[in-house]
Amino acid sequence: MNTGKLAFPMPLPAGVGTPSAPGGLEGQTSQEKPVRISVRRSRVDGCSTKDPAMFKTEELQINIGPQHPSTHGVFRMLVTVDGETIIDLKPVFGYLHRNHEQIAEQNTYLQNMPYTDRLDYFNSMANNQAYAMAVEKLAGIEVPERAEYIRVLMVELTRILNHAGALGFLINDMGMWQTQLAFGMREREKILDLFEMASGARMMCNYFRFGGVVRDLPPEFMPKLKELLVAMPAFVDELERLLRENEILMQRAEGIGILPKELALAYSVTGPVLRGSGVPYDIRKAEPYSVYDRFDFDVPVGSVGDVYDRFLVRIEEMRQSKRIIEQIVEQLPDARGGHINPRARQNVRPPVGDAYARIESPKGELGFYLVSDGSPRPYRYKVRAPSFINLTPLGDMCRGYKVADVVVILGSIDIVMGEVDR
Amino acid sequence: MTVKIERGQIVTVERGKRTARRLPGMGLLDGMAVVWKHWAGSFRKNQGFNDIHGVFTYEYPEERPKLPEAYRNMPILLYDDETSHELCTSCFQCERICPPQVIHMTQAKDPATGKPVPAVAEFVIEYDACMSCGFCAEVCPFDAIKMDHEFELSTADHQKLTVFKEQLNRPISYYERIAPTMWAEVRDGAMKKLQGNIKRRPDVIGMAPNLAEKIAARRRELEAAAAAATAPAAPAAAPAEGRKLTPEEKAAKLAAIKAANAAKKAGDTVEPPVAPAGAAPADEKAARLAAIRAKNAARKGEAPDAPPVVAGEPAGEAPPADEKAARLAAIRAKNAARKAAEGSDGAPVEANVAATEPAAAPPAAGAATSAAEAATAPADEKAARLAAIRAKNAARKAAGGGSDAAAPTTTGNVDSGGPGASDDAALS
Ligand code: SF4
Ligand code: SF4
Repeated sequence: MNTGKLAFPMPLPAGVGTPSAPGGLEGQTSQEKPVRISVRRSRVDGCSTKDPAMFKTEELQINIGPQHPSTHGVFRMLVTVDGETIIDLKPVFGYLHRNHEQIAEQNTYLQNMPYTDRLDYFNSMANNQAYAMAVEKLAGIEVPERAEYIRVLMVELTRILNHAGALGFLINDMGMWQTQLAFGMREREKILDLFEMASGARMMCNYFRFGGVVRDLPPEFMPKLKELLVAMPAFVDELERLLRENEILMQRAEGIGILPKELALAYSVTGPVLRGSGVPYDIRKAEPYSVYDRFDFDVPVGSVGDVYDRFLVRIEEMRQSKRIIEQIVEQLPDARGGHINPRARQNVRPPVGDAYARIESPKGELGFYLVSDGSPRPYRYKVRAPSFINLTPLGDMCRGYKVADVVVILGSIDIVMGEVDR
Repeated sequence: MTVKIERGQIVTVERGKRTARRLPGMGLLDGMAVVWKHWAGSFRKNQGFNDIHGVFTYEYPEERPKLPEAYRNMPILLYDDETSHELCTSCFQCERICPPQVIHMTQAKDPATGKPVPAVAEFVIEYDACMSCGFCAEVCPFDAIKMDHEFELSTADHQKLTVFKEQLNRPISYYERIAPTMWAEVRDGAMKKLQGNIKRRPDVIGMAPNLAEKIAARRRELEAAAAAATAPAAPAAAPAEGRKLTPEEKAAKLAAIKAANAAKKAGDTVEPPVAPAGAAPADEKAARLAAIRAKNAARKGEAPDAPPVVAGEPAGEAPPADEKAARLAAIRAKNAARKAAEGSDGAPVEANVAATEPAAAPPAAGAATSAAEAATAPADEKAARLAAIRAKNAARKAAGGGSDAAAPTTTGNVDSGGPGASDDAALS
């Protein structure tokens, strides 16, 4: 034996090169190309070195994940490599599938609210808003002005914390270990403290209700928020100073994982990934929902569409979110109405029909499509999850780059597996 | 490149080096400066939300951040501190809304009639599957279920995470401590509803099952009420007491107050005139009634089961001075009652029993032991003893016609202790 099968961490059934995914997406591929690796063994085995296959480089299929710290959850990439170069990459999802949509169809509309927290568990407030908007559209529920402001405030805070965390993880994936992540997490913790004050939970906020939010901001919220806003520019500037011109980061990020504009549009990519590719598409501007038409803010776009652009776009978005929050702080005291529409019933029974509501979540367009048959449970409940859609062009983004870049490119998409697999 | 759009612009982010320093490695050094700044800051504490440097972690088990009031972790059930009645009426609202369906309960039934009672018989929450959404606390129309702040729930025993009513029950005072303003908002409504529900709960149904002591006390109270109802003189007493489920006031206390009132009235009627020789039959009857109650009270006082008092319960009420006075009164009352019993021919035997039972020991040694007991006894045992003493005083007064010199001072003491004139149906 001079060549051996690549040692997989788990035993494989005979004849199958890779463990097949739950969906069986690439089971055939792996059978067509049995995983082989040419390893020059010592001659002690008595093998013949005359075998010409020994000196030919071969394409090799390997798995990155599903249990890999850089895959941001249980996610597998089926990578075909030639040496270090990626020939092909297939994202394989489904390991975290938990029947979210089917469960939601068994629940009443209100009962789904805490489940949406668990989709993208970094941005539970944004998920709440998209779902609440969908149900409000379906059932025709009005939202008071003040509630809208509180909602936008929460979602913009979510955007800051998401980007602070995402950039930290991106840098972490590059090998800068925990430094930036720790700085980002500190800001995130402050925002989570605010969420905890208002909603009672740090991550699984479950704060939104149909027609508003569950309770008004506590009195100690606004002073703390203002304090946070004081520190926010310093934090973003520091982040930028730390990384923006860092030669190591630039080497790892510039020109890596380029997603051309056309391809991004063809894949329906949204959010910072799309904007990083230079498409100025932001639902808050394109189709202003809630009270977004009342705020001044810019839409940052990239020019090349590589990891570096996505990184820069996220930094700039944090600044813009801070701008929006400042305007909210100014306008909130004048907002009419309470934190919730007192006439809004929570156990809704929407009329027969369907509704799609979408928001610009920190990761992209998050949409909920609901079909009502007039019962208290949704007949169909569908999530348009940005992480999932943004992940689909991963193969095209990685092709031609090195294995080490895959991790960085994946980090720059900013996925949460809870949302990808649902 | 920037493009103006409505309320903002599209800006293309600037790539590459912005600073004038184009020397290789300068960006890296600049970044290092940030790291060093944080390192230098790590020798002091973070100053708050407007500070991005400094140590911002907590030394957790020793140092705990203050949780905001709205914080929610796992649901708990509330019971009233005073009556120990649970607020839950088993309306099934929380069971219905719970998204993962982890709440289960059965409604209490009146054992006599089989009709459902607004109280919960068993209540189970599977903590291991609860998603801490807080819906149960939101929908509860009786504010009976609330979200706890306790988060250290890890256990090696999975079974422990199926939590029953005994472990779910918390006194209102506990919730008031963790969430004062949130409780203040709902308190009045919740307490009013509770009072209404208590009226519809027979026997001890709806009382927190972990408070066996309280339940036993309530049982005895009900027995005492039944006994009082059978007493010939006071048919009106039973309904009056049966209705009076409200106060946590142990049965003994209630009986004692009534007895004291009755006795006082009797005394009032007797004292101003020169004590008619054959004291009015009504007076005697009142005295007997008081004696019966005192006896019951005394029996209750000796209740053997004494589980630790729940944290929320009001601590023993008598300050040392009062205690001493009461003890003194007891000794005197005993003597007086004995004298009275010897003196008057028709004096009820019960009065004697009542008088001797609580003191139970020779006066000299008894003083010491009862003092020690009074200091350590749980609140309601003490109250029962106090009640016995008061009843004794009352009995003596009624029987002896208020001839003793000590009587005025002790009655004064009693009056200040009791919550004033409860309706003394016994006398009417
Ligand atoms: S806890 Fe509240 S909602 Fe649940 S059954 Fe009891 S009273 Fe009803
Ligand atoms: S917090 Fe939510 S999941 Fe937990 S018991 Fe209450 S309703 Fe059920």
